[in-house]
Amino acid sequence: MSAYLRVVGVSKSFGGLRALNDCSFTTTKGLITCLVGPNGAGKTTIFNAITGFLVPDEGHVAFQGTSLDGFSPQQVVATGIARSFQNLRLFTDLTARDNVLVAMPGQAGETPLGAIFRPLHAARATAQRRAAAREVLAHVGLADGADTMVRNLSYGEQKLLSIARLLATGAELLLLDEPTSGLSGAALDRVMEVLRGLQTDGKTLLVVEHNTRVVQQIADEVVFLHQGHVLAQGSPQEIITDPALAEIYFGGVI
Amino acid sequence: MDFFYSYIALAEIYVLLGLSTNLLVGIVGIFSVSQAAIFGVGAYVVAYLLMNTAVPFLPALLAAAALCVALNILVTLPSLRVSGDYFVVTSFGIQLLATAIFTNWTAGTGGAAGLPGVPAPLIFGQELIEPGAFLGLATAGMALGCLGFWLIMRAPFGRLLRAIREDELAVAALGKSVLRAKVSAAALAGAFAGTAGGLYATFLSFIDPSSFDLDASILLLAMVVVGGARTLAGSIIGPFVLLALPQALALIDLPTSVAAAARQLIYGVLLIVFMLFRPQGLLGEKL
Repeated sequence: MSAYLRVVGVSKSFGGLRALNDCSFTTTKGLITCLVGPNGAGKTTIFNAITGFLVPDEGHVAFQGTSLDGFSPQQVVATGIARSFQNLRLFTDLTARDNVLVAMPGQAGETPLGAIFRPLHAARATAQRRAAAREVLAHVGLADGADTMVRNLSYGEQKLLSIARLLATGAELLLLDEPTSGLSGAALDRVMEVLRGLQTDGKTLLVVEHNTRVVQQIADEVVFLHQGHVLAQGSPQEIITDPALAEIYFGGVI
Repeated sequence: MDFFYSYIALAEIYVLLGLSTNLLVGIVGIFSVSQAAIFGVGAYVVAYLLMNTAVPFLPALLAAAALCVALNILVTLPSLRVSGDYFVVTSFGIQLLATAIFTNWTAGTGGAAGLPGVPAPLIFGQELIEPGAFLGLATAGMALGCLGFWLIMRAPFGRLLRAIREDELAVAALGKSVLRAKVSAAALAGAFAGTAGGLYATFLSFIDPSSFDLDASILLLAMVVVGGARTLAGSIIGPFVLLALPQALALIDLPTSVAAAARQLIYGVLLIVFMLFRPQGLLGEKL
């Protein structure tokens, strides 16, 4: 199996803090890779480095053999990678559907000239996209909430919407930052089901996850990050049953 | 009747300015307090061209709009580096700079004395001197502006701008160019303000820096606050309400020195009252 996303020797310091320290791992196309590690291990920082929000001090990131070095967030999305945020960052004054619509690439009428001088063209394209947006929302089980303002959705629904918005970008590799945090019961099961559904649809997922039960249930591979460095990459069973890693994860010190 | 026509024509010109300010401040969330400066540049360019060259009215208006597009992009660019509250300070600086130039560049702007005798617009051989005649032009300008604003708000571009106001970073993470969208919005706001300036100069036939200073910029913000942010209806009603106030004060026969102060006082009170008790304005959304 060839590496789909390849992170090689990425380091990043903030002042005296070395957030990423020679961090290297790979993901495989079609698999769900979970990124685990204690708080402050650098999980979100590596997301930022992969998606162009942060320029690493050292190291490289490549996607499907193409180097992403020096790419802006916009250019990274164009290669087929999109990321979600731990604090969701939804557009709360817009409806669920509009959140999804904003994310769709290459829209007619997305420039002022297109909007003013080709309004009919823009309107027709928008009508088609509304149908597509409805499908994306239905995919995560939010079809009924399409016209609801985001601030009126429940937390679980907002989590699902952030996944729908990610999906709408058309990206093949989805980076999800703690998609299940703060959820329990049916809402948690729903998100896990949606993540597995994305895999069935052929998407590749890299998921920051704290809940070991979730990791065991959805992960094909696990990357264990500690102090900005990858300590181990392997199957969920290998990583979770490793006593040394458990010691670090559950509060031990190295 | 001319009194009434004048009020309508002036309010229509301010609707264009209201659209310009609403686009930047209300929709994109670029809190500009220097829109009156752009308005002023439009006014001075048209006045200068009509008084000193053989350029006809419509090309002069087009030139003013084009220059204001470029200028507004330039003064809005700092918003890409300094965000939110910090941009307000930058914007204050731009407004003060503009006022200083309007007041001191005597050769171009006539300085504090202003430029009297700006010719009335000449369109299809008709000289629009009377307020009733000018009203047609102002109405057409406002209608075109409103149509453009409406088309943008219902297009994907409008949605993108609203998303940018809420969370620029999230928009960038979805693969959209925040830079391009902001520059486009600034260009559009510049075109509206520049056109409004040209209409204003030819309508009043006299312009001076007092119409384009910080007070004027704050009046524009007040129009958005009172009318309501992010809606076409709000952008229209704000100017009509706020410009009716001086007209109403004129009816109660106050001495001019008192009337000017009373106007500022009322604008100030309105800003405070609306922000506290009706932040969504008369017909809009919360700023």
